Amino acid sequence: MQELKLTKQAETVNELLARYGVKFGIYKNNTFQEQLFPFDTIPRVIGKADFAYLERGLKQRVTALNCFIKDIYGEKKIIRDRVVPEEFVYISSGFLAPCDGVVPPKGIYAHIAGIDLVQGKDGEWYVLEDNLRVPSGASYPMIARELCRRSSPETFEANHVEDNRDYTRLLRRTMDHANTGGHTVILTPGRYNAAYFEHSYLAEKTGAHLVTGNELMVENDYLYFVDYSGKKEKVGVIYRRISDEYLDPMTFREESMIGIPHIFDVYRKGHVALINAPGNGVADDKGIYYFVPKMIRYYLDEEPVLQNAPTYLPFYEEDMKYVLAHFDDLVLKDVAEAGGYGVVFANKMTAQEKEDFIALLKKEPRRFIAQEVIDFMDIDILEGGVRTPRKADLRAFVLMADEPLVWKSGLTRFSRNPDSFIVNSSQGGGFKDTWVLSQ
Amino acid sequence: MGIISIENLDRLYWLGRYSERVYTSARLFATSFDRMIDMNLDDYAQFCALLDIPNIYRSREEFCGRYIVDEQDPNSIYSNLMRAYDNAVELRNEIGSEPITYIQLSVYDMKKSKLLSAPIVGLQKVIDNILAFWGIVDDMIESENVRNIIKTGKRIERLDLYGRLQVDRTSIAREVHRLAGRIQRTNLHYDREKIEELNRLVEEDEIDYDRIVELADGVRTD
Repeated sequence: MQELKLTKQAETVNELLARYGVKFGIYKNNTFQEQLFPFDTIPRVIGKADFAYLERGLKQRVTALNCFIKDIYGEKKIIRDRVVPEEFVYISSGFLAPCDGVVPPKGIYAHIAGIDLVQGKDGEWYVLEDNLRVPSGASYPMIARELCRRSSPETFEANHVEDNRDYTRLLRRTMDHANTGGHTVILTPGRYNAAYFEHSYLAEKTGAHLVTGNELMVENDYLYFVDYSGKKEKVGVIYRRISDEYLDPMTFREESMIGIPHIFDVYRKGHVALINAPGNGVADDKGIYYFVPKMIRYYLDEEPVLQNAPTYLPFYEEDMKYVLAHFDDLVLKDVAEAGGYGVVFANKMTAQEKEDFIALLKKEPRRFIAQEVIDFMDIDILEGGVRTPRKADLRAFVLMADEPLVWKSGLTRFSRNPDSFIVNSSQGGGFKDTWVLSQ
Repeated sequence: MGIISIENLDRLYWLGRYSERVYTSARLFATSFDRMIDMNLDDYAQFCALLDIPNIYRSREEFCGRYIVDEQDPNSIYSNLMRAYDNAVELRNEIGSEPITYIQLSVYDMKKSKLLSAPIVGLQKVIDNILAFWGIVDDMIESENVRNIIKTGKRIERLDLYGRLQVDRTSIAREVHRLAGRIQRTNLHYDREKIEELNRLVEEDEIDYDRIVELADGVRTD
């Protein structure tokens, strides 16, 4: 591809992003700070055929994951059939006992899934992580596209790119499909949440009300939005951007100040849809990730289209032996951590650190997974006007209504540090637009 | 849409008040600054007294520096602008992204003005952005109720400031009439008797400015 005219407008686009307040929040030394999310104008480009392959694999994966959650909180066949060991399910912090036996409206658990992928140097896509709780990030490429088109229209005249600004239409469709009858709201923990920009932007673009827990109340097993005059309006669906454990202080963490007392009872009775359903953490646990290809075979009787990164569970004796024998070649991940934290590359440890880590691994084998370090494809970014390769991943979004739909774009995050594989914004990463070519 | 939570109603109201406070205090500062160049070096003391803010400044230079851009000074224009910003960012789905950009731009321009040898030059851009913000409120916000709540906050703040500054009868009477016309078009709870008293006060031979300030601050009752 020729150098895009858009890349000459990097400063303009970033100025516009600043103007629109495209930021994320971060706590440093216990102080909340808003930071601009650095944007690189060189897009990740995915060809039509490549995307069709990804789309097939993503739909398959998210369908199987939904089946898994339904099964775990229902019949538990996959455990009885010994495809997934019960140890991995019931001791997962994502397994929520109160969800057992609860079927959400329309039977959908993961309405919005964010699947993190990388592309190997051989061109093969690998899934690194499934995010089925509150995956964030779609708003960034969406608004970036809007501003890129404004800054360099000729770039989009010359390239056939799927328009990614329909994300809010897909999201609204997903919310409407799940709605049990009532208003649509997006529940945010508030201004000081890292992704507050996204919450407010998606609310604006979908026409949903952006609310905090204080503005909602439960009465007679229904959920209401209370307006300034005290009038109550029934809520039929909540796209909640707060974690399960803070959702309802009467069911989960009682100290939660951001949840809504008794909302879980309303949900259990089918009077409100929660997007995503509580309890999904059981399926995006880093330990459960290992079993996703098996789930696809078990529930769908299909071979997985997309591959996992080669993963080992030290919980299994055989895998533990492999991990210890090839320790220096692996990346170790703490299953309880997220956001790029709890990820350690064995070859970067000191001898003492290795010794300590192996002792911990032997003591708590369920706590870690080990993965081969994928030599994934670098993507160029502009640094000082010069193209420079960096590690980047792709978060693809799958929205589930009457059928799964894959958003024809995604959030491409890159590491700004040349020696790092960690792309998370909270750790200094930037983002790119993701182009899916239409021809 | 059409329904507004009590939190957002409050934010809309205070967005109106703080944006007005930034605008009027910036304009007032510009006048005072001019006087301090070569006429009355201590004019800032009177400025503080009029606005009822503590005169914590030891010199004209300190006042000129801190009053505009000192984020630690709770009475600075910067601090008031940040309060407007804090309300605005939580109102994206009530007022939309476009109006918020002008408050955001004001913040950037205020920060840039810190680096200028004459911060008052940067302040002009802040004033421009606030004016643009009010323009876009009228132009782009569909909900009349939302527009009216913001404008009521603005009117109350202006009346409060004009009362403190003891502006001429014509100006203060105009603000009272604007407030009376605006507040009744919102669903805000307010004290009608106080509005009537304000109307009477501006007709009297000698205007009781202290009472006007008191009434302006107390007219909204929720």
